[in-house]
Amino acid sequence: MPKRPLIDVVKRGGKRSTEAFDPTKLHASVLAACMSVRSPEAMAESAAESVCTVVIEWCRTRPEVTSDDLRRVAADHLNRIHPEAAYLYKHHRLVL
Amino acid sequence: MNELNSLAIIAVAALIHASFQLSVSMLTLLSSHTIGARRSHARLLGLSGAFTLGVLVMTVLLLCTVALLAQIMLYSADSTLTWITACGLLFGLGSAVWIFYYRKEQGTTLWLPRGMARYLSDRTKATKQTAEAFGLGVSSVFAELLFIFAPILVSALILTGLSPALQLAGIALYALVSLSPLITVNSLIGSGHKISRIQRWREENKSFMQFIAGGGLVALGFYIYVDQVLSPTVMAAAGGF
Repeated sequence: MPKRPLIDVVKRGGKRSTEAFDPTKLHASVLAACMSVRSPEAMAESAAESVCTVVIEWCRTRPEVTSDDLRRVAADHLNRIHPEAAYLYKHHRLVL
Repeated sequence: MNELNSLAIIAVAALIHASFQLSVSMLTLLSSHTIGARRSHARLLGLSGAFTLGVLVMTVLLLCTVALLAQIMLYSADSTLTWITACGLLFGLGSAVWIFYYRKEQGTTLWLPRGMARYLSDRTKATKQTAEAFGLGVSSVFAELLFIFAPILVSALILTGLSPALQLAGIALYALVSLSPLITVNSLIGSGHKISRIQRWREENKSFMQFIAGGGLVALGFYIYVDQVLSPTVMAAAGGF
């Protein structure tokens, strides 16, 4: 996984305290979305790696990002490589 | 009201209950998290089965409790007044379902307060044991009580007028029909269908489901009003024919 940049993530709606960006959390959530649509493990790992690389690159020029931004950028990239997983990744907070 | 008519009303009420989506949403989330966490297929089936069993137990308990209370109270209350109350509830909730049931945003977000929805979502994500899944199923029925109360009340009132054997058949019928979406989703997930396809279908058809649920409540209310309130009143006015 690419080197972790030092940036703060403003949590949902700014109501919770900020935290440092942790690519492993992003990797785990993308991997879980891919596994949820029954992707083969290697394909899921590859998609999660690819999304993390794109998001980390996107974050490099920004000192602070919101969790919604991270989710949107990750979902946009995941949509190009794995649309089914991207759908679940985007909508998992909109099920209930 | 004859026995066939009574069982038909119970089946329609259960069908309306089945069109409410909280338990299905929670089962979809539970399955999604379980598969995403790379748990075994047996574990997935165990958790979704326990969840469905929890929903079944709570639904039957609620129906029996309301039926028992109705049986006790109907000895002293005017039954026409009880039916009018039930009809009012059906009309009111039917309109509420049309207006409030789904939020006007993407996905299948329901009327639930956001704090409660987040809590249920977090609990679903944290569920690892079958006992927890069972409890989650129980709480999903309780969380939707506001909307399912009307079909349960109508079924309970109908049940009080049946013989004990038919009461058992009515309870079984209600449980089977109201759980049919959960059984279907369970079978789809168990047979390897993708959660995303199930969720996409639910999202694409949510307006139709909302219309069916609201329309069903209003139609049932109208039928019961004519059958239980209007007809006896007209018959009495006509001299009891």
